[in-house]
Amino acid sequence: MDKDTIISVKDLHVKFTLRGAILNVIRGISLDIHQGESIAIVGESGSGKSVFTKTFLGMLDSNGYIDSGEILFRTDDSGSDESIVDLAKFTTEKEWLTIRGRQIAMVMQDPMTSLNPLRTIGKQLEETVLLHHKGMSKEDAHKRAVQLLTDVGINEPERRCKQYPHEFSGGMRQRVVIAIALACDPRVLICDEPTTALDVTIQAQILKLIHELQQKLNLTTIYITHDLGVVANVADRIAVMYAGDIIEVGDVNEIFYQPCHPYTWALLSSLPQLGIKGEDLYSIAGTPPNLQMEIKGDAFAPRNPYALKIDYLERPPFFDVSPTHKVRTWLKDPRAPQVEPPETVNRLGEGRL
Amino acid sequence: MASYIVKRVLRSFITLFLVVTIVFCLLRFMPVEGYFNNFDKMTPEQIERQLDARGLNDPLPTQLVRFYNDLVHMDLGESIKYRPGVPITEILAQRIPMSMLLGTISLVLALALGIPFGRLMTRYKGRIPDHIGTAFVVLIQAVPAVVYYLFIQMYGTSLAGLPLLFSRTNLATYVLPIISLAIGNIAYYAMWVRRYMIDESNKDYVKLAIAKGVNSRTLMSKQIFRNAFVPLVQYIPTSLILTLVGSIYVESIYSIPGMGGLLVKAIQMQDNTLVQALVLIYSFLSIIGLIIGDIAMTLVDPRISFGKKGGAR
Repeated sequence: MDKDTIISVKDLHVKFTLRGAILNVIRGISLDIHQGESIAIVGESGSGKSVFTKTFLGMLDSNGYIDSGEILFRTDDSGSDESIVDLAKFTTEKEWLTIRGRQIAMVMQDPMTSLNPLRTIGKQLEETVLLHHKGMSKEDAHKRAVQLLTDVGINEPERRCKQYPHEFSGGMRQRVVIAIALACDPRVLICDEPTTALDVTIQAQILKLIHELQQKLNLTTIYITHDLGVVANVADRIAVMYAGDIIEVGDVNEIFYQPCHPYTWALLSSLPQLGIKGEDLYSIAGTPPNLQMEIKGDAFAPRNPYALKIDYLERPPFFDVSPTHKVRTWLKDPRAPQVEPPETVNRLGEGRL
Repeated sequence: MASYIVKRVLRSFITLFLVVTIVFCLLRFMPVEGYFNNFDKMTPEQIERQLDARGLNDPLPTQLVRFYNDLVHMDLGESIKYRPGVPITEILAQRIPMSMLLGTISLVLALALGIPFGRLMTRYKGRIPDHIGTAFVVLIQAVPAVVYYLFIQMYGTSLAGLPLLFSRTNLATYVLPIISLAIGNIAYYAMWVRRYMIDESNKDYVKLAIAKGVNSRTLMSKQIFRNAFVPLVQYIPTSLILTLVGSIYVESIYSIPGMGGLLVKAIQMQDNTLVQALVLIYSFLSIIGLIIGDIAMTLVDPRISFGKKGGAR
């Protein structure tokens, strides 16, 4: 594990039992997340984005479990190997309490329901502060809560502390949720579709806020989203997920301007910004695979117009496109035929986004 | 809030007035035979005289005005048939304390046992304690109350050797009636506490609390339970007040001189004054219970506020 890697996932398999059947929800993900970076995990609904990050906090639903694999996490900045723990081995709540909030924090999708409706904002913040600073006085916790509210851009924090969540607007609540997430000085912040439930003007504000806080606090942020517009603005790197696997990962520019996986092509082609007036918008034919089945080869092959024979037989390995850009597709094999990305994707290079 | 309560109380008086007036009028439409024990042997003159004496031959509005006039002077009248000549207030004063005492003890017992049972079932959801609890709840809900009352009576007296007949001075005789009264409520509270707690624990704020590192024990007791209890708060005042109505079965099984069945008896006997008084009291108490319940809700849930529009989402 590199010194600047904070989370290193190795061949992670997550399964769910559902009505007697077993679902292979995460199928062998490997991913390194670097200290201080901002990485976006994109993919369509049901691709396993949320499940993947929930494993970092031990928050899988009760019917889900890690079947195999490692989630190595560096618990401090010393760079020594002693500070590395394997989150996949955690079983007790006691172990998780050393991680949740103080190492890895989370901002969830819907700020309208993320706060306890019967407690004041101040109480909810103070509670979080006290959780991780045992022995801190009530007054100090309150001061810290006020400071946190100020940090996330809430006016009149003293007065706001005494109010209940229903007295806040959606955007303001999401700011409070972010303040709560930051209350224990975490090193990693997972933002699970942080702006999906907000209107567009507020979206931009919240993303800007997270971005500023990330710079200020040297946070590692993981965004989960299906909105590529969001990604383009905030992420340093992008990991594209399909059917429980990361099929392409690279810097933002690499993914947007030199995508290599046919699924990434299809995803980018679906961007409404790339549509041509008068023509139908692009959509990917078919449906994602049934996760109950053992998937052979490349999961995207049945929907992939460029699929090769081998795509149906054997799972492609990662091919390095550049030192930072990796892709899981047989098209990058030296023996594969040369396939050009579709016309729509090339339009991205013309700066249409 | 004050102005809301005033409005609420005034509206309640209208409801009360309507209920009592309608019941009053309906009683007057009953056949006159019911007023007499030996109707068949009476001559029409005797009947007329009796009806005149009781004021039952006056026009309905006159009777109604007389009734309300007495009521304003705190006079509920005298029983005409159940215990002829005895003031209603005296009958009630004898019977209400007994029913309330047993009812209150059993309600406290039900809360003290039902709530922890519900919490236990939530904590072990889908495991053995939950299955046992669910079986108990289903059994109690499905079997008619009379059946388990009789079982409690049978086994309570034969196995535990507890006395069957109630006696005011012997505390051992309180045990079986209280258990009988409490057992249904235990199941009721266990069921709803479990259900509301499970609802709450699936909410996003609980997930956020877990993600920020709150341990599950604190989360259960301080947040999930508290929030789950809010909907129950509304009903507790009503159930407490309505304990004075008593229970027909339990009180008759153990011969408890309580309120249970008094209304039914009064209606059968066509004891108009007693029926009117009971209807008035029961409606009055139900309405008070609901108002107190609503006020209690505003105290525990900041989203609910009286008078202001759009306080809650």
